[in-house]
Amino acid sequence: MLTNYTISVFTTNTVGLLNRITIIFTRRRVNIESLTVSETERRGVSRFTIVIKNENREFVEKLVRQIRKVTDVLAVFGYLDDEIVFNEIGLFKIATPLGGTPVDVKTINLDWNAKIVHFGLDYVVVEKNGSEEEIQEFYAYLKKWEILEYVKSGRVAVGKTEKGLVEFLPEEGNWEIV
Amino acid sequence: MGQTQTQTEAANQPGQKKFLSGAQAIMQSLVEQGVDTIFGYPGGAIMPTYDALYDYQDRLKHILVRHEQGAGHAAQGYARMLNKAGVCMVTSGPGATNLITPIADAMLDSTPLVCIVGQVKGNLLGTDAFQECDLIGISMPVTKWNYQVVDANEIPEIMAKAFYIAETGRPGPVLIDITRTAQTDLMTVPFEYKPCKSIISYKPRVEPKAEHVEAAAKLINGAKRPYILAGHGIIIAGAEKELNDFVDKTGIPVATTLLGMSSMDADHPLYVGWPGMHGNYGANVLTNSCDVLIAIGMRFDDRITGDLATYAKQAKVVHIEIDPSEVDKNVKADAPVVGDAKAALKALLPLVNKADHSVWRAEFKKYDDEEYEKITLKDLFHEGDKIKMGEAVNLLSEKTKGEAVVVTDVGQHQMITNRYYRFKKRNSIVTSGGAGTMGFALPAAFGAKVAVPEREVVAVIGDGGFQMTLQELGTIAQSGLPVKIIILNNNFLGMVRQWQQLFFDNRYSFVELQNPDFITIAKGFGIAGHTVSDRAELSDSLDTLLSSDKPYLLEIVCEKEENVFPMVPAGGCVTSVRLE
Repeated sequence: MLTNYTISVFTTNTVGLLNRITIIFTRRRVNIESLTVSETERRGVSRFTIVIKNENREFVEKLVRQIRKVTDVLAVFGYLDDEIVFNEIGLFKIATPLGGTPVDVKTINLDWNAKIVHFGLDYVVVEKNGSEEEIQEFYAYLKKWEILEYVKSGRVAVGKTEKGLVEFLPEEGNWEIV
Repeated sequence: MGQTQTQTEAANQPGQKKFLSGAQAIMQSLVEQGVDTIFGYPGGAIMPTYDALYDYQDRLKHILVRHEQGAGHAAQGYARMLNKAGVCMVTSGPGATNLITPIADAMLDSTPLVCIVGQVKGNLLGTDAFQECDLIGISMPVTKWNYQVVDANEIPEIMAKAFYIAETGRPGPVLIDITRTAQTDLMTVPFEYKPCKSIISYKPRVEPKAEHVEAAAKLINGAKRPYILAGHGIIIAGAEKELNDFVDKTGIPVATTLLGMSSMDADHPLYVGWPGMHGNYGANVLTNSCDVLIAIGMRFDDRITGDLATYAKQAKVVHIEIDPSEVDKNVKADAPVVGDAKAALKALLPLVNKADHSVWRAEFKKYDDEEYEKITLKDLFHEGDKIKMGEAVNLLSEKTKGEAVVVTDVGQHQMITNRYYRFKKRNSIVTSGGAGTMGFALPAAFGAKVAVPEREVVAVIGDGGFQMTLQELGTIAQSGLPVKIIILNNNFLGMVRQWQQLFFDNRYSFVELQNPDFITIAKGFGIAGHTVSDRAELSDSLDTLLSSDKPYLLEIVCEKEENVFPMVPAGGCVTSVRLE
């Protein structure tokens, strides 16, 4: 059975590191479902959140060890969905031409927990945060309007463990909080 | 430290430029790192550094190769002998891409290299400038680390880091791509070289965890039929003595991998040969009879395991390995010990019991006898007219008393050499194992000779592989170093031919070679040599080769269609060994 794995990679901020990490997936013919890179709360530490689907836990563990081996990688964690809190963002650009059906702001806000973040002359941009499924459901709901553009971010996730990132980083580092 | 400061001060003497150029900083870094030899080839983007080298010739020996691939393999041979990084220096674009094969080879065979590569000027990066090539991108999958220097001030720190990463943990190749601008610019700070001692994101484990060592010892002490596979990690860690102490105390039979060969004396009573595709009969078959398999500094390469689904399934596995990503990669370990082979064996030794496994050891003997009867006898004492590769290597082994450094290329002759050379001295085999790079041996043998000029270095090469890098005869001739070269010539790409015969229904597809006159070629380079095809002259011929105080090439014309056995067919079970 295909299972979602979320791999969090913490690295020093180095040019070209993204390439070095994605090569590990490419070589083993693993498709990356989503990838997000961001700064962390510690200066100089970047965070990659990579989502893959795989049937074989051992295979993913090997992958994680290969990533750990990269010289500029500080720490790596492979998570199942129930071990993390995660979310994605979807942005929808919806046509609202004169005379067309207006968008139902109240339903969008209250029933879908989404919000309109930009009003254009004849369109609106709606933002919906949630899981991939929730955003998909919202997409289905919005289909009654003309969807001019749709974009969804990759997953971002934090582990459910009580420990903070700094506890997993090498001890001798000066992990100054940003 | 005192010396370091003196050198730095000398480089910053009044009257000279106040600050070093990037190119001078590269040279000064090499000197302070303790580098004595560079294998290289100049060209446009590295010329400023070659210009700086002009003033450093008294401190840095530069060897001009004939092709950048030769520089890489020579640096590998050098590195393997001394267990320290081999340094090569080449220009951008094609100069650098020619280095990729040795880098990939070094990556698979855990060989420390520091490759200094010129790059176009900083303002030309990414513009498809003359001889520009994205070496960072190209080399990423085959380097342990790489880095592009665009600022002269970075050079000392990056050079120190390069050597640290290349030489520590599981060694490997590092590539430093340096723009021409970073070479020509003056540093804006005084040069200071601090050897790298630690990197926050790179923490190779040397000392194993005590609980892991204890778990391993427990398995070993409970074993009735334990079996050791000793790999390249023993040689890299310099753990030959520790391995011998461990074997002597525990009485456990030991096999060495292709690259681990020479870590045990071939005549040690507990040495049972080597496992793998062309390894020994018993060493393969009994892998599936042992109860505890103790793998030290090796990575269960597919050429050793064959079919993983049937490999050592009955055995508990102790895996001592410095690279954590190798543990459980191919073979699941019941007792993994992550750490340096030397440290791990030292920690294990007091915890293991003295034991006698002579009955179990004797089981190997039964297979050895059958192998001797069916293969060795025919290889060494056959009646045909033509010389067989095995008898040539066997004679070489006798004449050098098993004490030479033997460098092989890739193919039949490689397997035969490892089969019949009886290694008596540590760190004596240099061969391209993981990558199987034809053309490796000639430059690698040269690099090995540069590293250990006091030792006899013999390159054993096939006629195919020799023609891939034979231009390095020029490098050897120019150096005058007495590298001894043997071509085992069967006028075939022998290993491919063997496979075509055995597995492709005798359909010989482009494996027969029309060879040049190798001796004339050698003479053209100023290297003496001769050909032997008569068995009666083989012994004298080897004497001529070995007694030469100059480089010498001996071409041995061998039987054309000889096959290497034993053989475990690719992907087969280690018990399904073909003896003919």
